[in-house]
Amino acid sequence: MAYRIQRLPSSTPLIAFAARVIAVVLALLVTALILVITGHNPFELAGEVLSSSLFDSFGLQDLGVIFMPLMLTGLSVAIGQQIGAWNIGAEGQFYAGAFAATAIGLFIPAPDWLSLILMGVGGFAAGAIWILVPTLAKAYADVSELISTLLLNFVAALLVYYVATGPWHDRMTNSATPKVAAEIPEFWGAIHWGFPIAILIAIVLALVLSNTKWGYEVRLSGSNPSAAKYAGIPVRRHLIMVMLLSGAIAGFAGMLEVAGTVHRLQGGISNNYGYIGIMVAVLARGSLIGVIFTGAFMAFIQNSGIILQTQGLTTSAVLAMTGLILFLTAIGEELSYYRITRDKV
Amino acid sequence: MRRAARPFLVVSANSNDSLIGSSRMQDEIPAAASSPGTPPRVYLKGIAKYFPGVIANENVDIEVLPGEIHALLGENGAGKSTLMNILTGIYQPDAGEIIIDGYARQFASPVQAIAAGIGMVHQHFKLVQAFTVAENIHLGWDQTPKRTSAAVLEARTAELARAFNLQVKPGARVSDLSTGEQQRVEILRVLSRNAKILILDEPTAVLTPAEARELFRALRDFVSRGNSVIFISHKLDEVLEISDRISILRQGRKIATEKAADCDPRMLAKLMVGRDIVLDDMRGRAANAKPLSAEPVLKVAGLSALGDNGLPALHDINFSLRAGEILGIAGVAGNGQRELSQVLTGVRPALSGEIIIAGKTMAGLKAGEFAAAGIGHIPEDRLHSGLAPAMSITTNAVMREYGRPPVAKGGFFSRDAAGKLAREIASAADVAIPDFAMPIRNLSGGNQQRLVARREMRIADRILVAAYPSRGLDVGAINTMLRYIVELRDAGAGVILISEELEELLNLSDRIAVLYEGRIMGILDNDNLDIDEIGLMMGGRAHGYAGEAA
Repeated sequence: MAYRIQRLPSSTPLIAFAARVIAVVLALLVTALILVITGHNPFELAGEVLSSSLFDSFGLQDLGVIFMPLMLTGLSVAIGQQIGAWNIGAEGQFYAGAFAATAIGLFIPAPDWLSLILMGVGGFAAGAIWILVPTLAKAYADVSELISTLLLNFVAALLVYYVATGPWHDRMTNSATPKVAAEIPEFWGAIHWGFPIAILIAIVLALVLSNTKWGYEVRLSGSNPSAAKYAGIPVRRHLIMVMLLSGAIAGFAGMLEVAGTVHRLQGGISNNYGYIGIMVAVLARGSLIGVIFTGAFMAFIQNSGIILQTQGLTTSAVLAMTGLILFLTAIGEELSYYRITRDKV
Repeated sequence: MRRAARPFLVVSANSNDSLIGSSRMQDEIPAAASSPGTPPRVYLKGIAKYFPGVIANENVDIEVLPGEIHALLGENGAGKSTLMNILTGIYQPDAGEIIIDGYARQFASPVQAIAAGIGMVHQHFKLVQAFTVAENIHLGWDQTPKRTSAAVLEARTAELARAFNLQVKPGARVSDLSTGEQQRVEILRVLSRNAKILILDEPTAVLTPAEARELFRALRDFVSRGNSVIFISHKLDEVLEISDRISILRQGRKIATEKAADCDPRMLAKLMVGRDIVLDDMRGRAANAKPLSAEPVLKVAGLSALGDNGLPALHDINFSLRAGEILGIAGVAGNGQRELSQVLTGVRPALSGEIIIAGKTMAGLKAGEFAAAGIGHIPEDRLHSGLAPAMSITTNAVMREYGRPPVAKGGFFSRDAAGKLAREIASAADVAIPDFAMPIRNLSGGNQQRLVARREMRIADRILVAAYPSRGLDVGAINTMLRYIVELRDAGAGVILISEELEELLNLSDRIAVLYEGRIMGILDNDNLDIDEIGLMMGGRAHGYAGEAA
């Protein structure tokens, strides 16, 4: 009796899903093993994580606060993928959106409702502007967006750090701007109305992509630009539009963070949401609706990390755990194309 | 006799009868019935292989005798490659036996098959481009000396080349060799591992006629020493020329094994596709065909365009096409055919000149507007520019009509209507599709091309530009393709047929234009045409061409 491995031309959704579940379980097992080796009790810690996140109303609110920006940056990256662009710059666009929202909130006097609308528009616009140069460079000169969007992240982060500790700094804290007056109203503890808006954006975009002529053209352009050109689709125009949209969504996430959660601009406000968003998008396998779920999952992982830190684990251990999950998921993804058969003798 | 004079006849270690068998072989065309007691070199017995939803092989019995060139003939997807992958240990059969020189064998891996004397030369060579010939020959070979130098390897290679009578340049880099030379290196590498059974997959597809002749000489030399060759092909003439016997596969099953001497092309084609092939004059119109239009549906005047490299690829092209007419474009590939088909369909901008469709100038318009004006386009590289391979069959099928009702309503895209249209196109193309959500790259090349053709025919109200529509297809699929084109012509569309198969052009075209270095060397009526003259024009000799009145 001999067992053999066979590669299939495509994987079924069920197997792909199962592969991802197995990957996550394996990652958790390995993490548990490491915890045991370092002298922790994994069951105790797991119980602690669950009881103070999923089974606790404050915990759930913490989760939601992390979920909103993560899902939006994931959406930003996933939208870019639809047209075949890797937006590694969601981090920078997030900063840019937060920067613009703060500027509007601090320096343009207006009633709160108007100020919030202006901040929202400013967040969208700033994110789009931050990705404008990489977009045009890709559309007209075929410059890789991987590098250009990534490099602008550092510019944005340092710019925000500079204004938050320099020209705009608050006399009391010295490391952040004064409080922005306009706040997005909250409807459940720390959860504000940005939450349903973020989910709505994902659903609307998913519907637009699958149910409009424009969406069809975008998906075709992303899958094979020369076939799209052959079908008479203005590929370059769509590329520019979609990349700007990708940047705008990340910028909006930055605006929500300022107006809904932090209420001021500070260095490091992005919390790496832009980078983790790449993971959210990869886990969702190009599905915009999937981003809602993978965003929630990554939020849970991040939140668990924070809880574990209060239990004496280091940030690096938590980072290693997230890395492990992505790594194993990638392997599971590839393995879902294979099946094991048994030879009849 | 040259063959008999050779001192070494291969005596297989596993067989005490093969010497006798081999001597018989020198004077006769080998046939199973004529040599009782001689175990075949390869006996595939009742081989079956199943993939999910597909019968790749079932109940296949094939005997390959010592000293024989045995051709394996079949359409794309008939199961030839799977069968050879089983013989070379890449796949394991689900049923059946592999019997080599009378002994049943199981190959768990290609290494074991090679050790048993089975070597395969794939269609896409597996050589390291940056290595020299000698290095490639010695790569991954247990006979390679442990401590060695380039000079030693080259000397050993030269020795092998002499022994097997294959000319190679031991010190040359593979990337500097022609495809014919690379193929010789591949063959030498296989033979140097003491292969007694050489499998060649479509070996002439990459060769010039002269190189193919040289290959055939080498193969005859190889089998004259009592070895065997399995020759996979779908070119009928070549199979008849080189092989002793021919086995025909169809839909995974063996249909027949015939002596080549008893076969003719028509009969083989029929066995291959299971029906009569009409590969002859298709210029006759159906009774209800629309007549040729008085006014041209397409006029091209003074057209020029740049190639991908930014250099002029088309110069001063002039012709006109009437509705209901097929204009063939002959020429060696790479003389502007690709650019011409792209400019005529709006994919590539014209540098100067005019394209007038049904009286309307198309200056400055793009592919979308050309399609809307009733031009269909079967591109030469369907996977790169005619399809999005990773996307679903439905997505690909509606590529031309997604923007008009019923698929598009307002700005919306109706998935139901798209699915319905896709099923309609698939049924017109006679392609059975289990799952329309599956990526189109999972379909065979022939089925992809049928879907593309049907999709384009639906929008080709006025003109169809078909670039190499039969390239890479087998006889059955080619025949279907050509039928489609005739059908469209009879429905009253003008057809531009770009092809490198002269026979195809002669069978279909009303007129034939010859392209050479981006210029039309002449347009001839396809009526008692002198083929030599077309040949001369393809080689760059203009003939009586003053261009047509634009």
